[in-house]
Amino acid sequence: MSPKPPRIPDRILSWLIAPHLREEVLGDMHERFFRRAESLGEATARRRYWRDTLTYVRPGFIKRIRPVGVPHHRRFEELSSPSFFKRAMIQNYLKIAWRNVRNQPALSFLNVFGLALGLASCLLITLYVVDELSYDRFHKKADRIYRVDIDAVFGGTEQRLTQVGDPIGPTLQKDYPQVEAYVRFYNVNASKLVRNGQEIIDERRSVHADPTLFDVFTFPALYGNTKTALDAPNSVVITESTARRYFGTPDAVGKPLEVNRSLYTITAVIRDMPQNSHFHFDFIFPMKAVTYDWGNFLTSNFQTYVVLKEGVHYQEFNRNFAQVIERYFFPQAQQHMKMSSAEDFNRGGNKLVFALFPLTDIHLRSDRQDELEANGNIQFVYIFSAIALFVLLIACVNFMNLSTARSAKRAREVGIRKTMGTNRPALIGQFLTESTLTVFFSLLLALGITAAGMPFFNELAAKSLSVNQLFMFPVLPVLLLIPLVVGLLAGSYPAFFLSGFKPVAVLKGSIGSGFRKSNFRNALVVFQFATSVMLIIGTLIIYRQLNYIQTRDIGFNKQQVLIVNGTHALGSNIEPFKNELLTLPNVVAGTLSGFLPVSSSARNGLTLSKVPVSSPDNMFDTQNWFVDYDYLKTMGMTLTQGRNFSKDFGSDASAVVINESLAKLLGYQNPVGQKIYPVSNGTATPFTIIGVVKDFNYESLRQTVSPLLFSLRSNTELASFRVNTQDLPKLLQQVEAVWKKFPTGAQFSYRFMDEAFDTMYRAEQRVGQIALTFAGLAILIACLGLFGLATYMAEQRTKEIGIRKVLGASAGGIVTLLSRDFLKLVLIAILVASPVAWYVMNRWLQEFAYKINMEWWVFAVAGLLAIGIALLTVSFQSIKAALMNPVKSLRSE
Amino acid sequence: MRRSDLGEFEEVVLLTVAVMVPKAYSVIIAEELERETGQPVSTGAVHAALQRLEQKGYVSSVLGEATAERGGRRKRLFTVTALGGRVLTEVRSVRERLWERIVPPTMLEWS
Repeated sequence: MSPKPPRIPDRILSWLIAPHLREEVLGDMHERFFRRAESLGEATARRRYWRDTLTYVRPGFIKRIRPVGVPHHRRFEELSSPSFFKRAMIQNYLKIAWRNVRNQPALSFLNVFGLALGLASCLLITLYVVDELSYDRFHKKADRIYRVDIDAVFGGTEQRLTQVGDPIGPTLQKDYPQVEAYVRFYNVNASKLVRNGQEIIDERRSVHADPTLFDVFTFPALYGNTKTALDAPNSVVITESTARRYFGTPDAVGKPLEVNRSLYTITAVIRDMPQNSHFHFDFIFPMKAVTYDWGNFLTSNFQTYVVLKEGVHYQEFNRNFAQVIERYFFPQAQQHMKMSSAEDFNRGGNKLVFALFPLTDIHLRSDRQDELEANGNIQFVYIFSAIALFVLLIACVNFMNLSTARSAKRAREVGIRKTMGTNRPALIGQFLTESTLTVFFSLLLALGITAAGMPFFNELAAKSLSVNQLFMFPVLPVLLLIPLVVGLLAGSYPAFFLSGFKPVAVLKGSIGSGFRKSNFRNALVVFQFATSVMLIIGTLIIYRQLNYIQTRDIGFNKQQVLIVNGTHALGSNIEPFKNELLTLPNVVAGTLSGFLPVSSSARNGLTLSKVPVSSPDNMFDTQNWFVDYDYLKTMGMTLTQGRNFSKDFGSDASAVVINESLAKLLGYQNPVGQKIYPVSNGTATPFTIIGVVKDFNYESLRQTVSPLLFSLRSNTELASFRVNTQDLPKLLQQVEAVWKKFPTGAQFSYRFMDEAFDTMYRAEQRVGQIALTFAGLAILIACLGLFGLATYMAEQRTKEIGIRKVLGASAGGIVTLLSRDFLKLVLIAILVASPVAWYVMNRWLQEFAYKINMEWWVFAVAGLLAIGIALLTVSFQSIKAALMNPVKSLRSE
Repeated sequence: MRRSDLGEFEEVVLLTVAVMVPKAYSVIIAEELERETGQPVSTGAVHAALQRLEQKGYVSSVLGEATAERGGRRKRLFTVTALGGRVLTEVRSVRERLWERIVPPTMLEWS
């Protein structure tokens, strides 16, 4: 057997070497190989062959154009066959592409428009996702900043907090050199009454922070020095827009500001906090202005952020917290309760885990009890990315379908071209040029649609995105890649399918009929509709779940409750204010309490024990809300056992009303009359349970109701009134008039309970609406494709239909004939989509503590909807075809 | 005449072309050089040198006949042009003039 040159280097060479040199180079290599094989043996020859291959890796051999100065006798025919990259060929491709567009304007429009819609959706969602992922990355040290979180389990109640005790930050910095800096937030979003001229404004975007705030976070100062801005207790840092609001100019440094009736001096004005930050404050007060029982490890009231030094891994750092607990936490805990060691504490399933949480993950991955603002959700990012991808895929599939469907017409063209000597790569090049061109036009149109749709999308997603962002770094390269990738993707099937025809078969006409039944095309239609059905089912279930949450019996009546904000401005006048309002005819009841069953209102954690001397295995965490006699009545809460607070009983100062979930935790057969104890060594006054209130939801319905108790104490932050009126504006006027009778200086400000409650679900509502919009778009695009396909089919079968009609077929029969094939595909799509949708939505529903069942009719509705839409789309064309006069279709040949 | 135009390897290749004419093509030249110098010489290196020589106008080429051991591919045959010949002569005379000026005792020291 004669030796053979190795194949792989041959491949490499023929790919690498410029076409006009390929022949001589490969010839040289082979000849050398055989000569060497003879003299040195095959093995050596092979080795040398590999090595020699490398010597051809130089520009002189790789460059595709004729090297300058090559003598004239190297003529064109010596170069390889005309390649895709020749200018003349590209001009020809463009010309043919344009003619094709002009020949079938309707189909081309469907193609371009469908793709443009898909691209536009994809662009919008890309912007959304990019924005979501950009949160908190503007800080210079963003990748080294961490928030200290606690997961605590006490007597069966679990708490996941973003707040820790005040000494944690300083202790970490003192004991661990890995910590570069820390900053603490206290009293976040508390109401501050700020004087602006004669007016007093209730400002809520405020915080108390350590002076190190500006070492940790990056908030550039416009005026003043942020290094020292928070050193003095009466200093305050405000944002640019706040300065403009109060002083008309951003340069407000040194000016006085009256807050809660004391004077502060503005020490710095910083730029407004970027929209993609997980907190937004307008007023930053110094930590020194806070009166607090400092040095307490056991309470958790401070958001604490630390900066780790370069190269420190946070998960490794987390191991140090065990030491912190051992050294500081337990000694303090022992003074307050009967507990001797860590084992003692861990007995009974108690747990205390500190952990650092990366700053850049907070917006999307943190869902804890006291987040600074409502965060985003990484799941939504995934869901939207998936939707964007699906919509784009559907649009691409359309394109492929329409192109292959048109292939019958173009088969002749391909046949002629091949006969005339075009090779396959050139044909593929032609079709890819056409598709890339179409995608390019679609992209231009898509940019227009995106710009036009941006305001609606912003409203839908509560974002402030702008079209300009399309042309900034992370998006622009993607944008430029889209025509290439989508063009290749969408054009690849038609390109390879069409260029593979045998010219003889095509020109003889024996292929034509084979096109109509393309399994691949059918699979694509099934895919499109399966995706659409999945989106319909998903949207229906999201909507039903949201509706369920909002209409569920939440344990109290959120309708017609008016909340008056900032009532502590009334001071001692608050009781007269309440009483005077109660004299209004439409006000049914009123209560003074800062604690409301909507998130974003005040909370007050309390650790309790069933026995006088607390020990770790008999404690549990609850909420302790201070209310007055009328709270239950105003909120419309119902008692299941015992009684409400009453002025008839003198001893109600130490009485409490608990909720059902606390009752269950305590485990008493009849909790009324039982005593519960605050954490102590047995010296604290116990609470006596006088009643049990039906569970009501006060956090998001993603969570179950946590244990809670009411105790009687005045709390003047807010006043809530149950009203009963059809004429709200008039009532509001009356209430405002009463407010103005009292010398507060503050503006009248109110909100309604149901609105406040609904804000808890705004994120879900948005997702629902966005999903609905894009599901609609996906279906629309799929329908455009189906419409195009049906048009084409009807056109193809004009003669057949004509003959059928001549032979006596009815219009109905023909419509059925034409629609049947498509319906079959849609049915298959429904069968494929339902289980997948069921699985995905089941996963989503698992997140909710209170959820709907997925009922079969949801799937049925989605299926019927898909069938209906498909029928409607197809029938337009099939009816048109069925009603056509057979003479017209049969006359010409 | 720009002497620096001709690299050392190019000069040797050009000489070999002159030796092998009319059957000078990269495989033969490479083998010849391998035999003469005792170093492995690849066709790629020779081919590249030939390309450069052709660019400078010292050699010209035509496609020759195809042979079976080349898998039916044609080879490119090179001949030295008049310009190439002149350059070779020039180089040689420079060398020879220098050689002649080396005094015999120096040469004795080397050997």
